[in-house]
Amino acid sequence: MAAGVQFPYPRKTSDSSASYPQQRSSPSRFSIKKLASYTLGIAALVWLVLWLFRSPATTSVVAPLGTPPVVIVTTIPPGLSEKHKAIIKENRLDYAKRHGYGTFFPNTTDYELAPGTPSTWSQVPALRHAMTLYPYTEWMWFLSSTALIMDPTKSLYTEILDPRKIESLMIVDRPVVPPDSVIKTFSHLKGERVKFILTQDKDGLADESMLIQTGDWAKFFLDGWYDPLYRSYNFQKAQRHALEHMVQWHGTVLAKMVLIGQRLMNGYAGEAPGAGQDGQYQSGDFVVNCFGCASDPKRSCDEEMAPYVKTWREATKQ
Amino acid sequence: MSLDRSPSPQRSGGWSSPGLTTPYDNGTSVSRSRGPSPSKRYGDLGNGGVTWASAKQSSARVNGYPSYQSRNQGFFSRHMRTLSQSLPIFSHGGQDERFAEKEKLGRGRTGRFSLMELPRRIGLLLSRRRRFTALLLGFLLLTLVWFSKPFSYAWRRNVGGGSKFVIILGANQGGGVMEWKGAREWAIERDSVKNKKKYAAEWGYDLEIIDMVTKKRYAHEWRESWEKVDAIRNTMKKYPDAEWFWWLDLNTFIMEPKISLQKHIFNNLAKNTYRDINRYNPLQIQHPPKGASAAGGDLGNYLDPDSLSAVGDGKPESINLIVPQDCTGFNLGSFFVRRSAWTDRLLDVWWDPVFYEQKHMDWEHKEQDALEYLYTNQPWVREHVAFVEQRKINAFPPGACGEDRGIPKGGCRALKIGDPLLECGVSGVHYQEKERDFFVNMAGCEWGRDCWGEIYNYRQLSNKLNRNPWEKFKDWISDTWNGHFHPKKDESQKT
Repeated sequence: MAAGVQFPYPRKTSDSSASYPQQRSSPSRFSIKKLASYTLGIAALVWLVLWLFRSPATTSVVAPLGTPPVVIVTTIPPGLSEKHKAIIKENRLDYAKRHGYGTFFPNTTDYELAPGTPSTWSQVPALRHAMTLYPYTEWMWFLSSTALIMDPTKSLYTEILDPRKIESLMIVDRPVVPPDSVIKTFSHLKGERVKFILTQDKDGLADESMLIQTGDWAKFFLDGWYDPLYRSYNFQKAQRHALEHMVQWHGTVLAKMVLIGQRLMNGYAGEAPGAGQDGQYQSGDFVVNCFGCASDPKRSCDEEMAPYVKTWREATKQ
Repeated sequence: MSLDRSPSPQRSGGWSSPGLTTPYDNGTSVSRSRGPSPSKRYGDLGNGGVTWASAKQSSARVNGYPSYQSRNQGFFSRHMRTLSQSLPIFSHGGQDERFAEKEKLGRGRTGRFSLMELPRRIGLLLSRRRRFTALLLGFLLLTLVWFSKPFSYAWRRNVGGGSKFVIILGANQGGGVMEWKGAREWAIERDSVKNKKKYAAEWGYDLEIIDMVTKKRYAHEWRESWEKVDAIRNTMKKYPDAEWFWWLDLNTFIMEPKISLQKHIFNNLAKNTYRDINRYNPLQIQHPPKGASAAGGDLGNYLDPDSLSAVGDGKPESINLIVPQDCTGFNLGSFFVRRSAWTDRLLDVWWDPVFYEQKHMDWEHKEQDALEYLYTNQPWVREHVAFVEQRKINAFPPGACGEDRGIPKGGCRALKIGDPLLECGVSGVHYQEKERDFFVNMAGCEWGRDCWGEIYNYRQLSNKLNRNPWEKFKDWISDTWNGHFHPKKDESQKT
């Protein structure tokens, strides 16, 4: 830079310009210096980038190819008619095949519940079991054996699970147990943080159709729900009341839970009592649930489901 | 403050500043005095105008010197020239270049300056004669800085990771509500708190002292002693950058304050803790957990591999709770808990009304039993719990948990495979002076033992063990002297 400077007065020495050629006379040394500084700078930059974007200590696990994104879990009570069992299995398998989901149909008697514990409790270990069988699957969908998927074209991801979608669907500030529980669902919850999606009927939380994101939280939630002291407590409605108890007493559960409209995945059939507000199944809805048909001796699941099965078969033909 | 005219220089030098002084042309000589601050004006008013400052100023006026000097004030302005001349001038390259640089000199000396030449320049600065002295001085200065309290504190806290640890001390147990708090109780509290304060200050940790006064809030819900959980949660909120929280009961004493937690445990978490409950299992907890496996075993145990594994995922990073086990099970007199989502969940479910309603008659040790219960029955807990040898962070006084079995001759290091373990290893419970155990917990001393006597003895012992060489020398002198010449006096002092 200094080489081009014009001086206003003559220099003291006659051959002052000699200094510049002298400097240029050692180009090798100069370039080595330059090279060294550039190398250092680049190395520092690379290190900085690596440091900034280094992966956290727990490396994220990449799911192997072919892992179903959702696994549908339905526990089968031994008391169901063979016809009913066949239909609900076919119903879920057909739906799963369309979307690349997995299915899991354990019997309610597969799990050692403590003596005297209602067999409906087995849905909790069944979910835990499904998580072991499908370790890389993201979501588990528990669907009761009395429910039927009516619209097999609807994808769970586009209809419910997408974070933006769930944000638009979530019911906020709703008492967890109607009508007047002091514990209400969170008013602000990011879609990404939701790990537990279910619906509410007239009496409370409806555990007949629920979505649980797998992972550490799910382990905690299911193990906690399945605790022997809950099972032995004789909750009036077994695991259902235990769930309501957990949600109301433990903030770490409530903070991950989201309620959505009942008809989105748990519309009650016309014969079933206890549907929540706007909770009755209407033609075109995703799921119908003949809620309570198996436990009520006066009702027959086969009869109640027959018209829905017919409609569903027509839908699958299209 | 508004100026009705712009400030102008005054005849005697300086500037008039309205609001601080009276206007320039305003009568008496007293009010002509002006200073940098209005405080002088008070002096003027109070003493009828004769203060040292005003007198000095008026004499300065008589002498004809300006009262306000902007030059030649202060050491640097007077000696700047001499100082700057004595500084070395960095010449760049050969002699000839100096002339080329001349043009630049006027615009600040920013010649070509590279860091690579720095050592050479420093070398030039120090003439050979001065070099040795300078080195010595520099070394001395560094040593001083290194050993200075504030520096070592800041270093240990920020560089050594001390800010990642918080000690939580549950003090004021009961708060004198349930029983009278006497002089001994106060003394215990004072000693214990002082011990932890010193330790925290030594290593740059934070210390949070929790007032465990009996609260109606907890009594109402049958959950006295669950305030431990609330205290940990509040402390986590208070120290958002800390990672590990060390809970301590009051009747405890850190015996080796010169050992940091990092060195003692956390630098090698995998080696200093064990996760397999089967290694030492006084509660006979079944592992792997029986996940109420499928009837007939055709589905096997349905839990995932990590839950079935005796060591979780085996990585030290996944440890979130470090608990010692005494001869009867978990002991929560001294334990570590790490900030994590898992910990939030554990603290959340630790107390549950349904559990408590069914178990409060059985759970004599309340939150300790509840933790044992959760560990046994909820598989998600196990994956993140590690155990630590009791004597490492929670040694008991002899006899607190069965007989003190002692250690083999030559210490635990001399132990061979097949020898009886005695008080060594995972099953060791009681404090061993020869092994210089880190921590002692006078657990259960409030039931029929002398808490104050125990804590006093351990304090004395800790002081004695951690004397520096000079103190040892002094003690040796005085001991020898007393032993030779005043054996009786020594005895009388003791009694």
